Amino acid sequence: MTSSSPSSSSPSRKALSKIACSRLQKELSEWQVNPPAGFKHRVTDNLQRWVIDVAGAPGTLYTGETYQLQVDFPEHYPMEAPQVIFLHPAPMHPHIYSNGHICLDILYDSWSPAMTVSSVCISILSMLSSSPAKQRPADNDRYVRNCCNGRSPKETRWWFHDDKV
Amino acid sequence: MAASGGGVAQQAELRRIEGNACFKKARLGAAIDCYTEASTPHLPSPRLSFISLITAIALCPDVAVYWMNRALCHFKRKEWAKVEEDSRRALALDDTLVKGHYLLGCALLDKEEFTLAIKEFEKALNLLKSSSSTDTMAEDIWQVLAKAKYLDWEKHSTERVWRIQSLKEACESALQEHHFLSGTLVEDSDGSSNEYSEQIKLLSEVFSKAALADTPVDVPDYLCCQITFEIFRDPVITPSGVTYERAVLLEHLDKVGNFDPVTREPLKEHQLVPNLAIKEAVQAYLKEHSWAYRLNC
Repeated sequence: MTSSSPSSSSPSRKALSKIACSRLQKELSEWQVNPPAGFKHRVTDNLQRWVIDVAGAPGTLYTGETYQLQVDFPEHYPMEAPQVIFLHPAPMHPHIYSNGHICLDILYDSWSPAMTVSSVCISILSMLSSSPAKQRPADNDRYVRNCCNGRSPKETRWWFHDDKV
Repeated sequence: MAASGGGVAQQAELRRIEGNACFKKARLGAAIDCYTEASTPHLPSPRLSFISLITAIALCPDVAVYWMNRALCHFKRKEWAKVEEDSRRALALDDTLVKGHYLLGCALLDKEEFTLAIKEFEKALNLLKSSSSTDTMAEDIWQVLAKAKYLDWEKHSTERVWRIQSLKEACESALQEHHFLSGTLVEDSDGSSNEYSEQIKLLSEVFSKAALADTPVDVPDYLCCQITFEIFRDPVITPSGVTYERAVLLEHLDKVGNFDPVTREPLKEHQLVPNLAIKEAVQAYLKEHSWAYRLNC
C-alpha cells in the first residue's frame, strides 16, 4: 500500500504482526455481524487501514452530518494504539484540530489492548455528541502549523486537561 | 595428529561447531557436510572424501545432537524423508530431545500421518514443560500441533459427515418402507400430519444435532482472551477477576503498563494466577470441537 498524499500522515508502515493480523480479522468479522450504531466500515482489502463513516448522533450539534475516520494499525496492535484521525473535512469540535487530529486520551497514553476499533469509535462519537459548541481548539493554528510535515498525532505530547467535553 | 579417542571426539565436536556456524549463515549444504562428517560411519558422497578431516566422521555416530542438527538442515530444505530418518536416529540415541520430536513430527505431518505427528508434538511439549526452555520453541510447537489437530479433524470429519449422511438416508427409506407396509404412509384426510411425517422431522433433527460438533462456529467468548480474541492456551486470572492469555498479558505489562487491560486496576506480574478451570474447559471444548484448533493468518 502506498500513499502519495503527504497529509495522510501515514505511520512507518511495517506489516502487521501475526497477532495483530489475527486479531484484526476477528474484529472485522465481529464488526460485520454487529457494527457499532452510527458507523459504517468502507470495505477494502486493506486490513491495516480502515476508513469508517461516522454519522452525527441524532439530537446533537452534528445531526445529519457525516465524517470519515481513518484508522491505521501499527505492527504490534493491540499492544500499541491505532492511529485515528478524521479525514478532511474534520468536524468542528473543541478537541478536534483542523488537520483531523483528535485530542482523546484513549488514543494515546490511556490506550489499553482490551479496547477495539468498535469501542474507540463509540468513544469518539460520545466525545462529538457532548460538544457544547462547534469550534476549533484554542491552539489550533499553532498545532496544525507544527504538524505540517505530516507528523502523526501519536508523536504529539498531549495534555488531557479537559474531561468535560 | 594423534588418533586417540579424545582427539577423535574433539574433531567430531569441531565439525559440529563448524556445522552450527554454517547453519547460522544459512549455508545449509556446508552445514550438512559438517554434520555428516561428524556422524556418518560411511561416506557415500565423493564430494566429502576430499575434505581432509573425514576421519572425524566415523568417530561419533552415537552423538544424538549431530543427527538432530543434520535433521534440522534437511528441515530447512524441506527434505522430509531425510528429516524423518535423521530425527529418528537422533531419538533412538536420546529420546528426550525436544527438537528431535518436533522435527520428526513435522516430517510426519508432511506425510499426513496426523495422529503420529500429534504424538510427537505432544511429547515435545511435555519435555519442554519439564525443562525451563525458551517460550519461542513452545510457540512453534504449539502452532504445528494445532495445525496437525485441525488437519486430523478435517480428515476424520469429512469421513464422519459422509457416513452420517448415508446412515440418515438409510433410516429415511427404512422408515418410509415401514409405514408403507403398515399402510400409514399417506396423510390423514383432514390434512393433519401423521406419525410418519413427524418421525421424519424428528429424525432430521436428531441427525443435525449429531453433526453440530463437526460444524465450525465461533468459539464462545468466555473461552477467548479479550486481547488476542483467540481461544485460551495458558489462561491467567487477575485480581479483578478477568482472564487473559498469559504471554500476551505479560507483553502488555511490559510494554503498555502495569494495569489490568479491561478494568485498569493496578496489576503486577506476581498477582497473576493460572486459571485452571478455564484451561480445563478449553481442553474439553477442543476435544469436542477440534476445528477450533484452526489458527488465523
